[in-house]
Amino acid sequence: MALRGVWQLKKLVVSFSDWGGSSRGIRAFMESHLPAFKEANPQLEVDTEMIRGQHPHLKAFYKNRNDRVVCVKNMDPEEILLHATRLRNALGRKVIKLRTRHVTKHPSVQGTWTTALKY
Amino acid sequence: MHTPIRRCLQALTRQSQPTLSLFKDPLSLRLLSSAALLNHNISSPLLPIFTNSKPTSAFGQWHHGRYFSSSKQDDHIKEGGTHEIEDEDDDSDGDDDDDDDDYDEEEGDYEDEDDDTVAVSSRKKVYTEEEKEAEAEAIGYKVVGPLQKNDNVFKPYEPAFAVVQIGSHQFKVSNGDSIFTERLKFCEVNDKLILNKVLLLGSPSQTIVGRPIVPDGAVHAVVEEHALDAKVIIFKKKRRKNYRRTKGHRQELTKLRITNIEGVEKPLNELVEKPSKSAKKEREKVAVSA
Repeated sequence: MALRGVWQLKKLVVSFSDWGGSSRGIRAFMESHLPAFKEANPQLEVDTEMIRGQHPHLKAFYKNRNDRVVCVKNMDPEEILLHATRLRNALGRKVIKLRTRHVTKHPSVQGTWTTALKY
Repeated sequence: MHTPIRRCLQALTRQSQPTLSLFKDPLSLRLLSSAALLNHNISSPLLPIFTNSKPTSAFGQWHHGRYFSSSKQDDHIKEGGTHEIEDEDDDSDGDDDDDDDDYDEEEGDYEDEDDDTVAVSSRKKVYTEEEKEAEAEAIGYKVVGPLQKNDNVFKPYEPAFAVVQIGSHQFKVSNGDSIFTERLKFCEVNDKLILNKVLLLGSPSQTIVGRPIVPDGAVHAVVEEHALDAKVIIFKKKRRKNYRRTKGHRQELTKLRITNIEGVEKPLNELVEKPSKSAKKEREKVAVSA
C-alpha cells in the first residue's frame, strides 16, 4: 500500500513459537520466504519475535497508528506469505464497508447542474 | 450431489462453443460427450449442443481446457497439435471460466489464471508471456507502466474530468480522485497505470465525447492498495424447511489514485486551493470568465 507514493506499512512483527506445532508453517516461512520478502520491501522493518506457548501471528503497524493482527496458526508458508503480502498491500484503513467507490474532493468541473441552468 | 451437476450444466451451456474448439477430430468429441455422460449423468438434450454446432469453424482456434469439475484443479492447456483428451477433468467454477473465456477467445493462446480463493500452494498458474499480460490488461482497459522512481506524479488539482471504464464499471474521474475497482491482476502497489478506455473528456472550456472511446484520451493512475473489502455474510434461509446457510465473502479491491488526464485542453489559470495573493487573483479571473 502506498498513499501518494508513501508506503503505509511501517513495521511487520512475525511472532512465532519454536516449540509449538502451530508455528511449524511460520518457522518454515521464516527460513524460506521471509528473506526474499525483506529484500523486496526495503522500506519495511520486519522483526521476528519468539512467543512461547502462544499461536503464531503477524502484526502489522501502519503509519496512521493502526495495527492489524493476523493469526497464522497451522498455515503453510505460502499462505503466510500471502497474508504478509496482503498486509503490505493494504493501507491502515479500518476494515469497514465502503460508502462509495469514488472518493473525490472536486465533484464538479463544469459546474454543478441546477434546474435553473440554461445551456 | 446436485450442485456439481448444476454447475456443470451451467458451465456446459455457457461454454458449449469454446469447448468444441478443443477437439479437432470427432472421435475425441464423442469421447467427451460419452465421458461427460458417464461422469455426470447429463441428460440427452445436452448432446445436441455438441453435435449441431459447426466443428470446423470453432476448431483449431482455441485450445483452452475448460473442463467439467466440481473441484478447482489446474487447467492444463496444450499448445499446437497434441490435444490431450482431458474430458475426465472437471470444470472449475463458472465465474473463473467467464473471465478466462474473455481472455482466451481473443488471443487463441493458452493462459493460466491465478486463483487466490483456493489455497495458494495448490494453484500456481503463471502467465508465461508478458505479452499476454499486456493483452489481458487491454481487455481490462489498463496498461501498466513502470514503477515510480521519484516522479512527480501527484500534481495539484486541475479542472478536467474524464469518464473512464475499467472492466464493466465506469467512473467520472478528475485529478487527485481515488477509485475502488475490482482487483486488477497484473499490477503491484505503486505501479503506474494508463487507463485507455476513455469515454468522455471534459474541462471548463471543452468537452470531447467519444464514440464510444476517445482514441487520444488517456488517464494516468497509480495503484495505491490492493485490499479486501469488509466481510459480508451471505445468509440463506428457508423457513420451516430446516435450511440455513451462512457464507462469508470479502471482495478483493484495488484503489487507484488518478494523477493526470490527457487529451483535453485545460485552462491556463490554475485553481489553487490554498489562499494566497496570486491564487485569489486567479480565482477572481476564473469566476468572472465562467
